[in-house]
Amino acid sequence: MNAAGDAALRGRRVLEVADEKGVYCGKLLADMGADVIKVEPPGGDATRRIPPFWRDEPHPDRSLFFLYMNTSKRGITLDLTKPAGQALFKRLAETAHVVLETFPPGYLDALGLGYRSLEASNPGLVFTSITGFGQSGPHRHYASCDLVASALGGAMHVTGAAEDPPVTLAGSQAHQMASSFAAASSMIALFHSTLRGEGQHVDISVEETTSSVTHICGAGKWLDDGIVPRRWGTGLFHSVPSGAYPCKDGKVYLMVNRPLHWKALAEWIHEVTGNEEVLDPMFDGPSSNRQPYRELLDLFISELTTRLTVEEVYHEGQRRHIAFTPVNTATDVTRDAQLLARDYFVEVEHPGVGRLRYPGAPYRHAETPWSIRGPAPRVGEHNAEIYCGELGVSEDELRALHADGIV
Amino acid sequence: MTRALDGLRVVEFSAGMAGPWVGRFMAYCGAEVIRVESKQRPDVVRLYVPPGQPERGTQPQLSPWFTDWNAGKRFVALDLTCPDAVDLARRLVAASDVVVENYSTGVMEKLGLGYAELRRAKPDLVMLSTSGYGDTGPCRQYVTWGPNIEALAGLSTLSGFAERDCTVTQYAYPDALCGLHGLFAVMCALDHRQRTGCGQYINLSQFEATVGVVGHQIMETLANGREPRRLGNRALHAAPHGCYPCRGEDRWCAIAVFGDAEWERLCAVAGRPEWVTDPRFATQPARLEHAEALDREIAAWTSSQTDYALMEALQSAGIAAGVVQNIEDQMRRDPQLAARGFFESIEHLVKGTVVANGIPLGLTGTPGRSGPAGAAVGQDNDYVFGELLGLTPEALRHYADAGAIETGDDEPAGA
Repeated sequence: MNAAGDAALRGRRVLEVADEKGVYCGKLLADMGADVIKVEPPGGDATRRIPPFWRDEPHPDRSLFFLYMNTSKRGITLDLTKPAGQALFKRLAETAHVVLETFPPGYLDALGLGYRSLEASNPGLVFTSITGFGQSGPHRHYASCDLVASALGGAMHVTGAAEDPPVTLAGSQAHQMASSFAAASSMIALFHSTLRGEGQHVDISVEETTSSVTHICGAGKWLDDGIVPRRWGTGLFHSVPSGAYPCKDGKVYLMVNRPLHWKALAEWIHEVTGNEEVLDPMFDGPSSNRQPYRELLDLFISELTTRLTVEEVYHEGQRRHIAFTPVNTATDVTRDAQLLARDYFVEVEHPGVGRLRYPGAPYRHAETPWSIRGPAPRVGEHNAEIYCGELGVSEDELRALHADGIV
Repeated sequence: MTRALDGLRVVEFSAGMAGPWVGRFMAYCGAEVIRVESKQRPDVVRLYVPPGQPERGTQPQLSPWFTDWNAGKRFVALDLTCPDAVDLARRLVAASDVVVENYSTGVMEKLGLGYAELRRAKPDLVMLSTSGYGDTGPCRQYVTWGPNIEALAGLSTLSGFAERDCTVTQYAYPDALCGLHGLFAVMCALDHRQRTGCGQYINLSQFEATVGVVGHQIMETLANGREPRRLGNRALHAAPHGCYPCRGEDRWCAIAVFGDAEWERLCAVAGRPEWVTDPRFATQPARLEHAEALDREIAAWTSSQTDYALMEALQSAGIAAGVVQNIEDQMRRDPQLAARGFFESIEHLVKGTVVANGIPLGLTGTPGRSGPAGAAVGQDNDYVFGELLGLTPEALRHYADAGAIETGDDEPAGA
């Protein structure tokens, strides 16, 4: 797994001590070739217990969340609450370009492992913290989780049906976005560090990253039109028409944002259903012209889509340059012709267990390809390799550390 | 004050959000970002009609989203159907480090601005090309917007309450997530370039990047051959875990309880000690099994509570709780966002000052800031082609007369 080949981040080392908020950040870095060392408490991280499990077998190496989020990483165990563990962590941090952590503000400082302690012997270090609310402010010690961040960050209020309670997105998206910010920001800080030799503390707040991602419903829009956005079903308030429409065998999603796309759609509706009214020029132009007629246009569109299958609407619609897409299930995604044509899914060998298909590259670098270089590490899998092979700890010392419960 | 990307130059051939947001972040961090536009095919945010004053017609500088996606950039106008304009674009790229483009697949090649040509102008160029489906495959030229990708990637079907088959955000989530992934992809390529001197081409399919952030859900299908359960606000490993009604119209508080100790503290806050010993709720497995009854009981309690007071009471007991905030709440009632200065005041070239959601990169050593918003199409033609590329005033006039450089302040044509 060390042989990163010509990966973009080959030679970059990341120490990851992260819970659900930060594991995806570590994955982004690891699959681009960074040597991400995942530091878990002795016995393994709590995220290993997140259901569901591969073949429904509850087991520390079978959590699908854990498996997916920790590809290409190496794993060690270390008790950071004990002085011997802290000393080892400091030695490891001296070899790292990035430390990624998700503890409450001040926790690592109290252990002598905060940014100020570590940068003294590694001035170029990028120290990235992801917390629910950031390192400062009156709520910095508040408890957070993905659901709470989605609520405070403005995401839930504007997701779902108008008549339903607010609802969150599947897959802990507040955390995935905090991780994405953290990954991008860490690389920006590393760019600066490489150029000038100065590291820095990167302070990511999940409440803020969620609030940034939802900016389309944010300050600028509200101060401009005075309308507080809320839930609005499947269509977007400002795009008419838009939303999910029924077909013979499922649903399609449609979005019209350009005057030309509306004209193409109106002509298609007219061709198939004989509807003359839809061609009325009062519906032409920018989306705001169609705003008063949303419900009527939705009816016209449904008269078209209900006569056809999802595949028919999708491909014929797209042939006419109209943004129709299928509303896919997870199973549909795994069989999608476009993804299969691009060899999106990749197979990963899990020694002694079997092969499993994984979602693949989120981006394709022509010279330094993304790749999964190995499955998520088992608990303490790389203890000997890293402590003895790279830090110069003797095998006797490692046995003693093990006996003391440090690793 | 030094910013992290000082000295980098980025050229954007872009529209909408997913491409422009990459440059917005880079400009925030100090890069000089130059966006190439054309009056022949204006960006969708340039077609903005102010909702309070529809009689003013389209206002190409006033969209709040134009600020969100483009503050701090330089703007030039080129008619890229003219060979002279293509030549100028190539010269601009030769003087830059990064190109970001999100035109329809194949358009850059047709214009003579594909990676192969641009690389001749700038051998160590990093170029990000992003589109709905990526640059290969049978659907590579299909049209999509952010919400289309939510549906396509399975997110709309995976999310929401069990009885709803399609749940969509109002904030075009994939645009934001693909912007961030694009930014990360570019920074990885720049890190590689810093250490090897080699640039490269990057292709980002928004479909693929979005499947990536629900990858752990898709794994349920790949590993166990079944659809993940649609959980709404519930979780498989915590209960209660939901969004509960409070006093007032459309007021809600999200509450998540992990483990029995937190549950006992919640019961104390609620003044319902009998919940602790109720066999339906005594242990986490029991609470998960009786989630519906549990949610009903909690909702009956919270309905009489004020949202912010409830959040404070639960947080004081160490329980994760948060008001379901709308934008007005975030700006007026959130002391945390206020203390950290999340919302940013940005100079606007027409409106004076505007306020926008922040760019929370958290770079404490090299803080970013937004440059002016509200630029006109082609506003920086003279700076970019004159100062930067060194064209003489005569040459500039020649290109303008030939229509390669688009000048004048006439409004863009509708498209």
